[in-house]
Amino acid sequence: MSNETAMNGSISYQEALGKYHIQKQSEKGFPAVELSLDEKQLLTEFHPDHRHETITNLQVGPNKGDRCHKQIADVLQADSRIDAADLAGARIRETDVLVIGGGGAGCAAALMAAESGAKVILTTKLRLGDSNTVMAEGGIQASIEKGDTPQSHYNDTLKAGHQKGNKELIKKMVMDGPETIRWLIQQGMQFDLNQFGDLLTRKAGGTTANRVVYFRDYTGLEMMRVLRESVSNSDIDVWDYSPAVELLSNESGHCAGAIISSLEECRYIQIKAKTVIVATGGIGRVHLNQFPTSNHFGATGDGLVLAYRLGAKLRDLDSFQYHPTGVAYPQHLSGTLITEGVRSSGAFMINALGKRFVDELKPRDIVAAAIIRECREGRGVAGNNGMRGVWLDTPGLEAGNPGIIKQRFPKLMKLGLKSQIDITQVPMLIYPTLHYQNGGVVIDENGQSSIEDLYCVGEVSGGIHGRNRLMGNALLEIISFGRRAGAHAAKNRKSRGHKQISIDHISNLRRELMQNGMPMSTKSPLLFPEYAQYDSEKNITIRNSSTPHCGVCD
Amino acid sequence: MNNVLLHSDSQVDKLGQWLNGNGGDGLANALSDPDAIIPVLKEAGLRGLGGSGFPAYKKWQFVAEQDANPDKYLICNGNEDEPGTFKDAYLLSNSPHQVIEGALITALANNINKIVFYINPEQKVSLEKIRNAVEQWQTSNFFNQLETALEKPLNIRVMASSGHYIGGEETAAIESVEGNFPFPRGKPPFPAISGVHGCPTLINNIETLANVPHILKNGAPWYQDLGRGDSAGTKIYCLSGDVLKPGVYELPMGTPLSELIYTHGGGMLLDKKIKAVFTGGASSTILTPKDIDVPLDFDSVKERGSSLGTGAMIVVSEGTGIVKRVTEYINFYAHSSCGQCPPCKTGTFYMSQLLNKIDTGQASQFDLESLINLSKILPGSGRCHLLDGAMHLVDSSLMHFIDEYKSSLRP
Repeated sequence: MSNETAMNGSISYQEALGKYHIQKQSEKGFPAVELSLDEKQLLTEFHPDHRHETITNLQVGPNKGDRCHKQIADVLQADSRIDAADLAGARIRETDVLVIGGGGAGCAAALMAAESGAKVILTTKLRLGDSNTVMAEGGIQASIEKGDTPQSHYNDTLKAGHQKGNKELIKKMVMDGPETIRWLIQQGMQFDLNQFGDLLTRKAGGTTANRVVYFRDYTGLEMMRVLRESVSNSDIDVWDYSPAVELLSNESGHCAGAIISSLEECRYIQIKAKTVIVATGGIGRVHLNQFPTSNHFGATGDGLVLAYRLGAKLRDLDSFQYHPTGVAYPQHLSGTLITEGVRSSGAFMINALGKRFVDELKPRDIVAAAIIRECREGRGVAGNNGMRGVWLDTPGLEAGNPGIIKQRFPKLMKLGLKSQIDITQVPMLIYPTLHYQNGGVVIDENGQSSIEDLYCVGEVSGGIHGRNRLMGNALLEIISFGRRAGAHAAKNRKSRGHKQISIDHISNLRRELMQNGMPMSTKSPLLFPEYAQYDSEKNITIRNSSTPHCGVCD
Repeated sequence: MNNVLLHSDSQVDKLGQWLNGNGGDGLANALSDPDAIIPVLKEAGLRGLGGSGFPAYKKWQFVAEQDANPDKYLICNGNEDEPGTFKDAYLLSNSPHQVIEGALITALANNINKIVFYINPEQKVSLEKIRNAVEQWQTSNFFNQLETALEKPLNIRVMASSGHYIGGEETAAIESVEGNFPFPRGKPPFPAISGVHGCPTLINNIETLANVPHILKNGAPWYQDLGRGDSAGTKIYCLSGDVLKPGVYELPMGTPLSELIYTHGGGMLLDKKIKAVFTGGASSTILTPKDIDVPLDFDSVKERGSSLGTGAMIVVSEGTGIVKRVTEYINFYAHSSCGQCPPCKTGTFYMSQLLNKIDTGQASQFDLESLINLSKILPGSGRCHLLDGAMHLVDSSLMHFIDEYKSSLRP
């Protein structure tokens, strides 16, 4: 954060707050704005994805030669945590379908697989539901409104992703939209309704229709609540505190299970499975470009690494989403997400001069780049800890719609309380936060990767969102593709008669690393992020750069 | 290295290229004097390279002598399904013409009129390449000349095998070609007397056939000189496991194991020490570091109590559990047993259960003793060699690594 915000001066918090009030009172609102740069130029100059010094080309693996963020390359090109000798005496369990990851995608996949009659084990690094799904606030997209169509949803998604999304995947997802909402309601999920009991919708940035359905500003939490209950009420065998440290492969390179590190027993367990669904989420906790992140503690890109080692093709490894509205101040909450729903409901973003500088409902990459531009060009607000940002005009939203914040955004209210700010009176200081991995494992319409019997769903997969994701499409994707993968994996659960099930594919990785003269000292998957300590006196976060002890048996 | 079968002139897709390079002369020589083919092979010392090491000419003589039945079959065995073996797939997909020319010469030598390319269905590229190449041969002049020499129409069929491991066994392949499940048959009658539909049938491995045109072209002395020591010809070794550069290497028959691993294979991965080498895919036995100097030919490896098999060398480094490896192989055998012979069906299953128990640290001394006893009494009780292969592997691992088994037992 501090690197990114080393900008040409800025205006102090108090001074900016003064200007904010004056502006607001004198003008009673803000006029429409036009960007002084075209969007492409804005992205090129200010979006973190375009910082050339952070991009490298991969030297080993199926994506050799492809562009990749340096920090992602470091984990993809690291040595395995385990060796064949570590598996001596390891217990072996067998199942039809192994689901790795206990977030929304993993649960949806596991539920569908179990419903199809497969024996399912779901392993999760922390606890069931401890995931980025619960952090999703704004809602879930589905074209259910009159006048809206899946075609418009498709067009919006493809456009927001800069035409780089996989059209087949987008088509499947948008067509699944309405059915996905129905399924969630059948599971028991609540949504905000109008007085007639119809689903309320709102508009996401970069879309042409009101298409986001939601529950308060904790849609993901509500979704996870019902998915957890459904999983608990099924025959799915859930293993908490059991991160996967490696996939198992057979002699032809098919995926055949995984090695699980049981944190409670402090030992490795082999799970042999006919099909494996990886739903481990994203990689925000790697803090790309030193950005704060909205991501959950477990988002360390484990699935990406495991799939890559087995030979799965990845895509768009240089494209990430920086959510425009992350908390910038106070620092111990930095990176915490403020839902796009606030902007959808009409809140403006204001710079330190009290001016609006971008249409807040542009796609996220444009808005994030616009905020970074304001800060870099000296129109940002300086928090008293060196953090910079711009205002999110919650008082303006409240003034126009009295009571809306308390009613619709209870989580935001609570965030204000934690920050000791009355957000109905004082705007919050925000700055983009690392939010989402746009790319990931290449999949087909059933979530199958390029490796036989390996499925990847949710944030670990890539292709749907192109190079920028719309609000509400992540929750739709995890359920849509989670269910698709679960059903297909269950159907595909044939006994293969493997000659050998092992971690031999690790030798290929080591071979390539050695032949390319790359260091073998770093190990991945990370499993747990670096620890950070918050110094309350100085109001700063100290990140420990050494490899953390993560409780795994190593 | 790569002087004959893997020579770049041999690795061509178009028949024209093959005939302009290494190809055609062998078949032309054969056509000019078909009766000389078998004597030339005998003098050259070509052996069955699918694992048996049985002199090729002997097998051919049996078939050539049969004249009661107007039809005779040649099965070109590309079922290749053993762990660590990938040479036939490589040959079929990279140099289909030398394999086909070998098959045509073989047919001529034995008066065979029905050739079946029997290929593992997983090897889709091989199937496509060989189909394509067969079409090219069928429209060439050679094909007419062959039919004239045989005095009957020559039929070539390319078929995908059932994909079962056991389908590579000779009599199982015959069943497969007849359209049945690949249950191995009892012998006798031997395939040379009564094979596919009761006709005399010759079954040769792909690598064996690929050598034939080169021998007929260059002569027996040339082939003998290719080998080292008393061995003749070259061998394609499939090097895999914990080496830096795994792959297929065509080297003189009798090249020492150390040379294969360190000179050609780039040495050990992470510079670890060698713990064991599983030879010839799973149906063979284990070599240990003391055997590192062994010349890799059929007889020398046999002297060390192991066998060369298909020429696959799966190198295992220190830090790898032998019990786990053997368990994986036996799991595979248990799954692959066709179930015809009760000792094999139940024996491999029970061995697999015992090994899994030992591997996961839950077995007692009694279990280990059961394993040892089974490995002594089971060999020889199956119709084919699947059970024997499995037991030899267990036996070999018990001989070299009994301490590792003991240390895996429950305290």
